[in-house]
Amino acid sequence: MNKVFHVALREFVATVATKGFIIGIVITPVIILIAIVGMRTLLNEKAPRIEGEVAVVDPTGEVFADVHDYLRPEAIAERRGELKELAEEQIPEAAKPFAASTGQGEAARMALDAVLGEVPKLEVVRLDDTADVEAAKQPLLSGDGTSGGRLALLVIHDDAVVKPADREELGSYDLFIREKLDDRIKDEITGGVREAIVEARLRLAGLDPGEIQALTRVDRVRSRTVTAEGEKETNEILNALMPMAFMLLLFVSVLSGGQGLMTTTIEDKSSRVVEVLLSAVSPMQLMTGKIIGQMAVGLVILGAYAGMGVGALAAFAVVGMLDYSLIVYLIIFYFIAFFVVASLMAAIGAAVNEMREAQTFMTPVMLTLIVPWVLWMPISRDPNSTFAVVTSFLPPINSFVMLLRMSSTTPPPLWQVWLSILVGVASAYAAVWFAAKVFRIGILMFGKPPDFRTLVRWVRMA
Amino acid sequence: MADAIHVRGVTKTFGPKVAVRDLDLTVPEGGLYGFIGPNGAGKTTTIRMVMSILFPDRGELSVLGHKSALEAKDRIGYLPEERGVHRKMKVGSFLAYVARLKGQKGSGLRHKVHAWLERVGLAEVENKRCEELSKGMQQKIQFVSAVLHEPELLILDEPFSGLDPVNMRLLRDLVLEQHRRGATIIFSTHVMVQAEQICRQIVMINDGEKVLDDSLAEIRTRFDPRTILFEPMSREADASPLERIGGVERVSRADGAYEIGLADGCDPSAAMREIVAAIPTARIELHRPTLEDVFIRIVQGSQDASARDVERLRASLRSDAPAEARP
Repeated sequence: MNKVFHVALREFVATVATKGFIIGIVITPVIILIAIVGMRTLLNEKAPRIEGEVAVVDPTGEVFADVHDYLRPEAIAERRGELKELAEEQIPEAAKPFAASTGQGEAARMALDAVLGEVPKLEVVRLDDTADVEAAKQPLLSGDGTSGGRLALLVIHDDAVVKPADREELGSYDLFIREKLDDRIKDEITGGVREAIVEARLRLAGLDPGEIQALTRVDRVRSRTVTAEGEKETNEILNALMPMAFMLLLFVSVLSGGQGLMTTTIEDKSSRVVEVLLSAVSPMQLMTGKIIGQMAVGLVILGAYAGMGVGALAAFAVVGMLDYSLIVYLIIFYFIAFFVVASLMAAIGAAVNEMREAQTFMTPVMLTLIVPWVLWMPISRDPNSTFAVVTSFLPPINSFVMLLRMSSTTPPPLWQVWLSILVGVASAYAAVWFAAKVFRIGILMFGKPPDFRTLVRWVRMA
Repeated sequence: MADAIHVRGVTKTFGPKVAVRDLDLTVPEGGLYGFIGPNGAGKTTTIRMVMSILFPDRGELSVLGHKSALEAKDRIGYLPEERGVHRKMKVGSFLAYVARLKGQKGSGLRHKVHAWLERVGLAEVENKRCEELSKGMQQKIQFVSAVLHEPELLILDEPFSGLDPVNMRLLRDLVLEQHRRGATIIFSTHVMVQAEQICRQIVMINDGEKVLDDSLAEIRTRFDPRTILFEPMSREADASPLERIGGVERVSRADGAYEIGLADGCDPSAAMREIVAAIPTARIELHRPTLEDVFIRIVQGSQDASARDVERLRASLRSDAPAEARP
């Protein structure tokens, strides 16, 4: 046991106490930060301001005035302001001072400004009721649509506001626009026309539009999640990101540990130090020591990133969202997933002579590890579907899928969790058993790397 | 005295190739055994089986009284044929690490490492990475890692390959010193001269089979001298009388001297007297058989080796070329 400890300690120190590892663990958050800052800069690139004319043919005479009002730059700006406020509401109440102090609130506003584009300057002109529609369309073909010129032609039907006696339904309108018109302008126009027509209809029917609006309006509220510790606001964005974050943590830590194990095994083998070691420890002790050492490396990575994650949640004062038992399960599933993946990696490392030869064997392992990522969307959308339940008992991806389900908003029943853990422990045992056999024979084999058939023979032999 | 190593009827095959066939070997405690044979004879495979790195297909072995070397690993020092170090580790840390794996502990360990490095003249590399050392230096480091824990049994697989004469002598002295300390030593080599210089007892292996297992002195008596080297005073001297001397089987000339082969059972001293009487002599001597001669005679006796085969064998027993990698 003492020997296993020394092997593990060396493995850990040799991996962690290198510049590469330290840079690697620091650089990932830096890259994320750069990505965020870069995105902000990119988003600050404002869309060009749009200027132009919207021509209206309004035989009813009831609609134009409202459309004109609706498309005034001030009115557009006001509506966008409301939208912005709505967006800001999405930032948790408690996080606002923080967001403001770090300029993130500012960033959010700027980003929103950029998305909305600068308020367009639209000139709404009324054409003669009897104007030739075909002729009025002609200006839509000239100009580039950003500096003046006709952007859209709106033709209100004469039965749009008042129903003639011989018709069953009210009429509507036609909208003609130039090519490549900004979607938001089109939305502004259709929104304005719709509102203007409805108001005109209500007015002519003798109803008070204000009252109707008041009667039909129901505020959209945000749900509140009731927990044993009390009520809290449901945060939909974080709820969606949480399973992703947990799976990412598991994936990164398992893979870096596993990859490290394979690399050092190949190194030990190609530098021929392995025979010296085998004169002091048994192959099983050597492999166990190496696995434990790299497991600790993975735990360091897991701890570092999980710590950063919890820190970030705390900074936004939404740490209450985090169910701490999930972290315990994360660690349990880390051990399971690590043992499965690392054993396979150790076996691969022992079987080949150099990194290049390892690629053939790596491909199936990597493909298997990518499966949970492909399944992420369907599973997080419906964490209790038959598909999700079955895959959460299917080694070697069960750890990833189960963690995904557990961190979703509808966690699976506890028995499923423990069944998955049980399956995981069994598969980890099987993987270690397989790896030990391949390791024992492969570690002293030099020359042509084995094919899968040879591997099976080794397992039978040992 | 108890046996340090006891091997009975051990066979090991790799696919169709029989690496070791039905081998018996006994090394008593305190013995100094040379394990010799050409490349590919099965030396390394045997040593790996003794070390429980490989396992025999058949037969049994015991090491230091245990069924497997795994149970006695801390009492064994092993220098494998394939040299290897943790390349990125510092020399001192590497030696301390291997010693810890061998069950050494305590604060004195670092001091011991330093003392050993001083003895092999490498004190200044203690804080260098292993990969910065030359091949010869790495080999000395490996030797230190094999003896640092003062093992009872020291197994050295081709310890001298790749060393210059000065370091070869240093290593030889260190090996002999370990023997004086009381360690049982086995070392393998394909260079017979090295074995002759160090060993008391020789085990010869060829094609996976043991062909000789005796003390050096015994071997020399058993394979008694059969060749007389003779140089006449004058190069032009008539050598025909040589062939008429009783017991002479063959006469061959080389560089103005003659090699005279005697028949079995003939007394060399009588033959020498007759030669000196027949032709004026500048030099005459009885050629003592080297291990190389012995080995070749054994191989020749056991199979119909052609002259070219013998020459190839001779070359392989002299050359210090690194042995080819074998499984």
